[in-house]
Amino acid sequence: MAMLSHLTATCWRNFQGGRLNTQLFYGLRALHKSGASDAAGISATEEGAISDRLITQGDVGDKTRVKTLKEMPGPSTMSNLIEFFWKDGFSRIHEIQIEHSKKYGKIFKSRFGPQLVVSIADRDLVAQVLRAEGVAPQRGNMESWKEYRDMRGRSTGLISAEGEDWLKMRSVLRQLIMRPRDVAVFSDDVNSVVDDLIKRVYFLRSQQSDGLTVSNINDLYFKYAMEGVAAILYECRLGCLETNIPQKTQDYISALNLMFSSFKTTMYAGAIPKWLRPLIPKPWEEFCDSWDGLFKFSIIHVDKRFTELKGQLQRGEEVKGMLTHMLIHKEMTLEEIYANVTEMLLAGVDTTSFTLSWATYLLAKNPDIQEQIYAEVTQTLGPGTVATADDVPNLPLIRGLVKETLRLFPVLPGNGRVTQDDLVLGGYFIPKGTQLALCHYSTSFDEENFPNSSEFRPDRWIRKDTTDRVDNFGSIPFGYGIRSCIGRRIAELEMYLALTRLIQKFHISPSPLTTDVKAKTHGLLCPGAPINLQFIERQT
Amino acid sequence: MALVFALRQLAHVRLPEYSRRTAAASWGAWLTGQRSFKTGTQPLRSNSKVTVHFVNRDGEKITVKGSPGDSLLDVVINEDLDFDGFGACEGTLACSTCHLIFDEEVYQKLGPITDEEMDMLDLAYGLTDTSRLGCQICLTKALEGMVARVPESVADIRQSKDGSL
Repeated sequence: MAMLSHLTATCWRNFQGGRLNTQLFYGLRALHKSGASDAAGISATEEGAISDRLITQGDVGDKTRVKTLKEMPGPSTMSNLIEFFWKDGFSRIHEIQIEHSKKYGKIFKSRFGPQLVVSIADRDLVAQVLRAEGVAPQRGNMESWKEYRDMRGRSTGLISAEGEDWLKMRSVLRQLIMRPRDVAVFSDDVNSVVDDLIKRVYFLRSQQSDGLTVSNINDLYFKYAMEGVAAILYECRLGCLETNIPQKTQDYISALNLMFSSFKTTMYAGAIPKWLRPLIPKPWEEFCDSWDGLFKFSIIHVDKRFTELKGQLQRGEEVKGMLTHMLIHKEMTLEEIYANVTEMLLAGVDTTSFTLSWATYLLAKNPDIQEQIYAEVTQTLGPGTVATADDVPNLPLIRGLVKETLRLFPVLPGNGRVTQDDLVLGGYFIPKGTQLALCHYSTSFDEENFPNSSEFRPDRWIRKDTTDRVDNFGSIPFGYGIRSCIGRRIAELEMYLALTRLIQKFHISPSPLTTDVKAKTHGLLCPGAPINLQFIERQT
Repeated sequence: MALVFALRQLAHVRLPEYSRRTAAASWGAWLTGQRSFKTGTQPLRSNSKVTVHFVNRDGEKITVKGSPGDSLLDVVINEDLDFDGFGACEGTLACSTCHLIFDEEVYQKLGPITDEEMDMLDLAYGLTDTSRLGCQICLTKALEGMVARVPESVADIRQSKDGSL
């Protein structure tokens, strides 16, 4: 998320994408999914066996008999509780997803308290759900986000809004930042942030005794992603990549960190009934504090741009930019602009930074593949040429690198949908209003979808010609369709340009301090330990 | 509020031509000063229209005209053609609901295909070797009389296979 889908993806987090979208919601979803505790293993297996028998009988007796939710296999409520609250299943949600799909099949149900969740761990079923979407798909319960906004008199944004409110804002924003050619014009803005990223790598290296290592690389990428998104959303630079970060920016980073670090408690903020808040006040208070900080920062920057813009227009100067467009056209109210800029920034930071961290980690661990990509980049661009969006079509391995990284480490390991109509899915009747969990992590590792799925192979995404189909619903890190990550193209551009330049400038190696780093889920799929990398300058 | 009002006034004086945008207006065109309000990018040089024959999901042929430079999605919207679920993301390359199928010789004349369009086509239902996304195809005189077939949708399949839904 950071914010947009992914800010997209994200897909900004789908803003997808909304990507960020997701944190609360994904956590809740995941809650429901998990569950296979050892204690409950036996009964769960029995349940699965019974259900298998039912399926067989149904098939023999009546080919078209649609089964009910009651017949669907899945872990028990108690095993879910144990898994998550006693065994910290939250950080292993992605692994539990795979375990459960192996144990219960490609569609299974989990219960968390009163909430039932149907998990879909099959490419074709995921496709069926997303293709059948209506005009305003719903991801999950965003009540706590909405409650905060109502309490403060703020608008909802693309992540927290639903129905008509959501569709109205989405219609405006997608016309600004979703088309690749509309986003390509941001190349120069993004490249100036990449300049600072490279300078920062040199500086951080120089602070280490070996003169090569950048420790905890995600911290650097977090600042890069934040600076990049802000350059587009606020039309100004924040100074995240400077040695002395301005105080206001530092305050915002703190608010973001509070939001991310208190993820679990803020999730409870939505899960804990309102009447319990006087007894357990902390989650809700932290939730409100971090939102206060995020909104405050956005409002300062939007208002600042508003004032500048007024002066520019009075002087008859030419103006351009995304925020400028929103402020001039007023297709959304000022409150809606505040809310969307806030949610997009939130969605577009850690989503992008985690993906950059994994991408460079994978390059460091696979030096042969890194050399192939380096060869492609130097042959295409020549030494020292700074790539723009126009060069990306000629860098298929750079695109493959990002796709493959997101397949192995999908920053949003699952996504949610609330069904808007009755549906028959995998032979089961799913009533309208059911919470679905789309298990993207699980389908990304399905051997049927991706042979040798645990191998890092960016070239699996290279097409032989324009009719060669290499992708499918098995890996859709930014989502698909009208509620996919609205920040997808911005996030992609930020990653393509940063990775291309890093590969041009440096040979990236693992630090002797970093062995294998595993993923853990903390709202999003993130590195479970700091990634330390050596950046060895290339001779040009 | 006074500031908002003042800015709005200024905006209307300075940028009157931008105050009206269609659903398919392009922000990039605005940024680069091309002033196109369509998903298509080719300049409007000719007044002569291009004839397009759509074949809908029931196999019926619908003949309409569009302006050079318009995308096929623009034509569907402008002519108010009722293809259920068509063009859900309004030409922003986030879905593949404006998937159309062409004859081989027409397909060859449709112009280059971008990586992003190919990625979205991979997710299209009923994909063929001569499939494209309607939002990415701009009309030219060379496409006069073209036939574009709207593929069967997932919903059609479901209705035909499963009477209960």
